[in-house]
Amino acid sequence: MEFRPRDYITENESHALPRARADAHPLSSPLSHLTQVNDDVVGGNADFYDPLRGGIDNDAKSTPPEPVNLSETSGDQPIKEWTSFRRLLMQRFPVSKMVSLSSMPDVLMRSGKSHDKSATSMHLEELDDPKKFADEGVKVITWQEYVSRLHELKDEITRSWLADNRVTSLKLSIKVAKLMVDTSVSEFYPTLFVLVTDIMDMLGDLVWKRIKQKAEFTEDGALLCNLAENFEASDICADAKETCYNWFSKIGAVQDLLPRIYLELAILPCRRFLLDQPTDSLQRLVMMTRGLGDPVASAYCRLYMAHCAQKLPSHDIGYLVTCVNDLKVILTQTLATNERNLGNFQNNKKLQISLMEPTIEYIMKCIFIGLSQRRVNEVLPELGLMKNQQNFGTVSCVSLVLHHLLKELPIEVVSSNVVHILHLIEFNNDNSFHQHLNYRLLGFRLYEGKCPVDIVNAVLDKVMQVIATYKSLDEYLKVIDAYADLILQNHMDNHLDIILRGISERALNGGVTIDEMSSLQSLLVKFLSHFECLEDVFCLNHFPEILDILHGKSQDVVFLHILNMATSRSGRIRDPTRIQLLFEISRTLHDNMEFINAKNDDSQVTRSVSRFVYMVDYGAVMEHHLAFLVDCRASFGRFNELKETLVHSSNSLAIQSLQCAKKDLSFFKSCVTFSEVTIPSISGQRQFDLFLETAEVAFLGGLVSHVDGLIDSGIRCLHILDRVDGFRTSADIEGLVSSIRKLCGFLIMVPGNISLPVTYFPNNLFSLISSQSWFDPKMKTQIFSAIILLLTTLSQKTLPYHANKQMPGNDMLYYGDSSYKQELESLSKVVLENLLCAVQQEPSQAARGSMALEACNCIASSFMQSNELSSICHTLIGTAKSCLSVQDRCLQSTIRLINNQLPTLAGAVV
Amino acid sequence: MSVHLKLSHPNRIYRPSELLKGTIIVETQSSISHYGIRITIKGSVNLQVRGGSAGVVESLYGVIKPIPIVKRTVEVKPSGKIGSGMTEVPFSLNIRQEENLEKFYETFHGADISIQYLATVDISRGYLHKSLSATTEFIIESDKGDLLQRPISPETVIFYITQDTQRHPLLPELKSGGFRVTGKICTQCSLSSPINGELTVEASAVPIQSIDIQLFRVESILLGEKIVSETSLIQTTQIADGNVCRNLTMPIYVILPRLLTCPTIFAGPFSIEFKVAIVISFQSELSKLHKKSDSRTPRLWLAMETLPLELVRTM
Repeated sequence: MEFRPRDYITENESHALPRARADAHPLSSPLSHLTQVNDDVVGGNADFYDPLRGGIDNDAKSTPPEPVNLSETSGDQPIKEWTSFRRLLMQRFPVSKMVSLSSMPDVLMRSGKSHDKSATSMHLEELDDPKKFADEGVKVITWQEYVSRLHELKDEITRSWLADNRVTSLKLSIKVAKLMVDTSVSEFYPTLFVLVTDIMDMLGDLVWKRIKQKAEFTEDGALLCNLAENFEASDICADAKETCYNWFSKIGAVQDLLPRIYLELAILPCRRFLLDQPTDSLQRLVMMTRGLGDPVASAYCRLYMAHCAQKLPSHDIGYLVTCVNDLKVILTQTLATNERNLGNFQNNKKLQISLMEPTIEYIMKCIFIGLSQRRVNEVLPELGLMKNQQNFGTVSCVSLVLHHLLKELPIEVVSSNVVHILHLIEFNNDNSFHQHLNYRLLGFRLYEGKCPVDIVNAVLDKVMQVIATYKSLDEYLKVIDAYADLILQNHMDNHLDIILRGISERALNGGVTIDEMSSLQSLLVKFLSHFECLEDVFCLNHFPEILDILHGKSQDVVFLHILNMATSRSGRIRDPTRIQLLFEISRTLHDNMEFINAKNDDSQVTRSVSRFVYMVDYGAVMEHHLAFLVDCRASFGRFNELKETLVHSSNSLAIQSLQCAKKDLSFFKSCVTFSEVTIPSISGQRQFDLFLETAEVAFLGGLVSHVDGLIDSGIRCLHILDRVDGFRTSADIEGLVSSIRKLCGFLIMVPGNISLPVTYFPNNLFSLISSQSWFDPKMKTQIFSAIILLLTTLSQKTLPYHANKQMPGNDMLYYGDSSYKQELESLSKVVLENLLCAVQQEPSQAARGSMALEACNCIASSFMQSNELSSICHTLIGTAKSCLSVQDRCLQSTIRLINNQLPTLAGAVV
Repeated sequence: MSVHLKLSHPNRIYRPSELLKGTIIVETQSSISHYGIRITIKGSVNLQVRGGSAGVVESLYGVIKPIPIVKRTVEVKPSGKIGSGMTEVPFSLNIRQEENLEKFYETFHGADISIQYLATVDISRGYLHKSLSATTEFIIESDKGDLLQRPISPETVIFYITQDTQRHPLLPELKSGGFRVTGKICTQCSLSSPINGELTVEASAVPIQSIDIQLFRVESILLGEKIVSETSLIQTTQIADGNVCRNLTMPIYVILPRLLTCPTIFAGPFSIEFKVAIVISFQSELSKLHKKSDSRTPRLWLAMETLPLELVRTM
């Protein structure tokens, strides 16, 4: 076996693909695009919508008046909205296990029990009755039982209806509606409402269908007419009208007010069979609802009204306005009694008001949905607002109502009436809703509406004046949070200064609670995102103090934000104070990490710190840079990924030092040594790559002995790899193989060491690979081929490349040394044998074919023609032919190569 | 073998000038022969005296002879045969006859007085077989021509109820704290439209439990020289439940129940009148002990105002 002399330059030229210059870099996107994006992020802060800023949106959530497509969606939209509203309503008030009632209604008793009662026991019960009323003990029932009983009742109603017992259905429905009278179930009331109105809606549907059936078909089932969607009362036959009238009479005869209203609302759409304009009934029903003395019961009754009215083809919102006005009166009176009674009663009122809140919210929504600007202007005075422009003190509007009004008002109305709204907020400070939250909402609405600066100024002056009197940091922050965007956007630095001082004063006086901390966090993040430059933020008065107040999770978030800000732009971080600050921040993040277990957070922090370390640049003062890297290693022990950055940084530092005018070899050595000692603490196969990288750097600086050591460590770490990593991806394996091939390419330049055998490294690599069972045949084939090619190259008279002029290659060192060539040959023989074995071991046919071709190529380019090799190649080609199709391009070109290189074989093969 | 009557109006309401139309439905297993199918309509005012202002002796009389309004029989089919299966025999007859000008009072079901119209079908089958018959009630509402020609202007009365307007003793706290409920209500009302009105609680020191509108009938019967009257409750309609907000106007809206009401009548032997009462119950520990008591009895925790109500039939 003899190595083939090779002419790499010609080979390269003959195999290279033709090249042509491209107009643009394939990886760069069109330039104009790029700048556009940057502009948006930097300049257009106002346009930039951050979907992750959920916290702000939650409060200022204003469902934009959806463009109601009247022709199609008008029917479904309210239903969908109602469904989701009902779900939210139930979730809003978590129900305790037991529901307490002021008295147990019969209808909640299991039907079985009440039927079993004998006449005498009934009579006895009646006699007992007065006593029963006398002890008003609280009755309890589990809510599951309550709910399942309601479901049973619903089934019973349907069943009786289907059995033509419509009177029974009605009677049961009345009983169900009566349940809404008892508001002592408190938190359960909204759930009860949802379940009861579900039954009411069902009954309404049944009645509607029945009357429609009567209108469309005769008793015998013959078709009378087909009612159009927008039918008129005159289309309805007398019989159907009579039935409809009967239903209203029956319901009108219900003695109790509340069930009467609920049931009439349920069958309200049926009014259309009698009248073309059924809206008058709505106005009457609103008035009737005033008769419900219980504030909660009456509020929910109005809620159901708002829902039922949407089923009418068209309706004016006048009745809703009356609803809101009545609710205002009720709330005012509730609050008035509130002031007189304190203690337990107070809590009760609070609960009452919180139960009423969703009803106000929904009714407000119904008022403003799809309302024209003109109608809005009419509605506002009807709501008792915008009337007395001179005398705001007399305009009364409960702050809770005001809040929901402010939420739903079209944004143009908010900005054009902002002064007035401010006054409303100022003069409506009652216990139903916190005043500061209304100021806050106004801020969000203004920001949303992009108001002119003068208005913003006026509002801010007023608001700043108000919040200056706030003692609580929480309230202060909540309001500031809403106005921060406005302040920043309009560059109102004086306000910025005041609020920062305000925060720091309040925080220092009273400490910071957890809630306040998260508000503070969101505020600081807002500041940080506004300013482009870190220095600008830190220049703000009190900002560093406020930063010091932070702790825990909020601190991490803000710090990470600062770090990301500092590292988000390309370029280098050179300022030592800045580096110091960021280092401290990173260290805090690192130290806090112990308490964070979430993996994602970790990796984000690690990435940001790594990026920071990568960006640090001390310029000419390289010693400081190295010292900085050493500090990093000491401080950030828990960041694995960072160590890799440290190695890269120190390697690049080493290269930089070589390029300096005055070369400082000892510094270079320190850098390499730093890398060398850092690598072993890094886990995984990255070690090999880093050793190789460092070896290359060391080689460039002429530290040959270091190089040997590094390569040695690199090969040795492949040992450990097996034990460390149980599983690898195919990408990892490919990466490793290509790194090993790279090592082979590097070894060409590395000069031999007198104290070591000539083939020390290739031999080491080979024996390691063959001894490790986890290298599969494919990997082995690739690596062994690389080793053979390496050995062939080393045998050439001139090596294809050198490190530099000063460093002699092996071609010089062993020039004319015959034992050198022999050693190379004997090793290549062993490797070749193993290579052939590896090819045969491959279980997969297709893979074996291409591996055989690879081996064949390797042999053909490495060795001179000989009989032995010819037969080997013959076998390999045979294997490839049996495994691959004859059309295979690689097979064909390999055969062509062999024809060329090993002509004797040609006859045998082709 | 069965027979029943089906009237042409599903709600069974007829005016005296109309034809009473319908079908006689006979179902039989085998064919039967008969001596004629006849329809009889019969209307009468039935009077009864019990309790009330009647004396012991009068109440012993019990039922007084009814006052007949109409009784007429028409043969729908002469004698013949009815085949097996279901047979429908249509019929129609005048309710009012030209020469006969009896007063057709509207149908009314009261406690002591009831005005009722019945249609009966008779299929006589000779002496050997039991005759088949069925009866159904039909409802008479006044003819349009008989209605008052003057347009009915709803007569509304303004009322106010305070501790001083009550003629019965009140709870001391009610007397001292005072209350004032005002409003208006119509006292002449068409049967086809609801009793309308409104009510406002202006003040009340004691929380309100409930406000109800009660509808009463006053039935009077001439018994010899004496008029026996009885007032009874027809319907209660709650218009306020709980301690309602002061100074919010609430509507009074009571749909008049059919059959249980009719136009106010002042006939010679009897009269039917109506009353409406606004009853305010105040929250009181005492009231809980007497939940089931008759609401007409004036109680310490109740305040009320009773007004006469004239019911008329309009177009």
